[in-house]
Amino acid sequence: MVEMKGVAKYFGTLKALDDVDLDVYDGEKVVIIGPSGSGKSTLLRSVNKLEEINAGSIIVDGFEINDPKTDINKVREEVGMVFQQFNVFPHKTVMQNLTLAQIVVRKRSRQESEAIATELLKKVGILEKANEYPTKLSGGQQQRVAIARALAMQPKLMLFDEPTSALDPEMIGEVLEVMVRLAKEGMTMIVVTHEMGFAREVADRVIFMDEGRILEEGSPEHFFKNPTHERTQQFMRQIL
Amino acid sequence: MAEITKQPKDTKAKKKVKIDVGDGAAIPSRDDVGLFTAWRVAFFGAITIIAYLAIFKPDPYLDIMKFVPDGILVTFEVTVMSILLSLVIGLFTGLGRIAKNPLINGIASLYVEVIRGIPLLVQLFYIYFALGRIIQMPPMPSAILAMGICYGAYMGEIFRAGIQSIPKGQTEAARSLGMSTSQSMYHVILPQAFKTILPPVGNEFVALLKDSSLVSILAVADLLRRGREFAAESFNYFETYTVVALVYLVITLFLSKLISIMEEKIGAE
Repeated sequence: MVEMKGVAKYFGTLKALDDVDLDVYDGEKVVIIGPSGSGKSTLLRSVNKLEEINAGSIIVDGFEINDPKTDINKVREEVGMVFQQFNVFPHKTVMQNLTLAQIVVRKRSRQESEAIATELLKKVGILEKANEYPTKLSGGQQQRVAIARALAMQPKLMLFDEPTSALDPEMIGEVLEVMVRLAKEGMTMIVVTHEMGFAREVADRVIFMDEGRILEEGSPEHFFKNPTHERTQQFMRQIL
Repeated sequence: MAEITKQPKDTKAKKKVKIDVGDGAAIPSRDDVGLFTAWRVAFFGAITIIAYLAIFKPDPYLDIMKFVPDGILVTFEVTVMSILLSLVIGLFTGLGRIAKNPLINGIASLYVEVIRGIPLLVQLFYIYFALGRIIQMPPMPSAILAMGICYGAYMGEIFRAGIQSIPKGQTEAARSLGMSTSQSMYHVILPQAFKTILPPVGNEFVALLKDSSLVSILAVADLLRRGREFAAESFNYFETYTVVALVYLVITLFLSKLISIMEEKIGAE
């Protein structure tokens, strides 16, 4: 689904990504961990070209996304993204948040979009809020709206950028629960998170990043039991 | 609601965003107690004086008041048409000012700098008299065009600030759903920016209404022009211009109030 080769990204002289190779297979769930500033968000955001890379290649769903001939909007239709800050549309109701891109991008009819949206809202457990504005919702509910909004496009791949980091502790569970269910349904997912419980439950592979490089990868168990690198050991001690 | 515990940081910050562009016609806010009473004194004072003069000194005041209302309509016509034109120009200018394309950005920025550097009165003369050599337009369209172009530059800055006040995450969310730049601008950014820019646009509206008195110079029969015509015939300069000033004052204050009420309603939504 995703093939990254020799990806590099600079912010001025800072190397945010330094020669990163990463393949993600259909249906695979990859969790990326690492200290802040390690480049994990940048890596994730480069998959749908929210960050433009300076070198290397990224192939998503068969398209080289940095090829000028590739219509990035077409690729993004197939790649859902969930942000740390939710980024729900405050001027639209929950229902409209879910139908907007379906109507505008997927060219679905209103009825069809609303039917799909209703199903998804049911699935994430906020159907009763369909006609509310998101600002009236709690953080956990807003994030579930954001997940449902991305799913409404029926993407092939979902990217999660620290989806629970801006949430109060008591709301993290309800969001993770939705994500776990999504994973069990077979969605291909790349998740940047510090939630090791989530990683243990669903991740096929965990990737540890530091200073723009992939330092170590392996199963969640590997990371819990015997991480090889000293940096990884240090990091795992801090977050567990 | 007990459920509201944590909002994302950027939406919280967004509520506080108040963009400050324009030359600040005094639209009273509820917090500003002093101004609020000043508004009342000025508004009801002006109305009382007009009523007093009409009743107790009908000659010449009542005659003046019968003569100038045609001008009020023309003033409104010029104002409304100009503001509509300036909104259209302003939208494109604002989009141009944030465009990544250096040519478009350059043109928009140049327009803003040039227009803001030339007095409105000079622009009016320029379009009516100087450009008159190339295409002679009637006074009214000339006036609307000149005012629209002038205020378009200021509106452009308001639109730019309004668009930039919307958190970047909104664009990213829209783009990540597969929307194009223009789709995310149209469906996501602009509807939110309109709320933010309403107060400064209201300010511009009031400012433009006042500046519309300048068009009397082009033989547009607005409120000031009608007053001048009456004064020139009757030699009642003091009386006529007193009425003209009072009428402008009442209209301006009334509009300011209307805009602040509208703003509050939108803010409450």
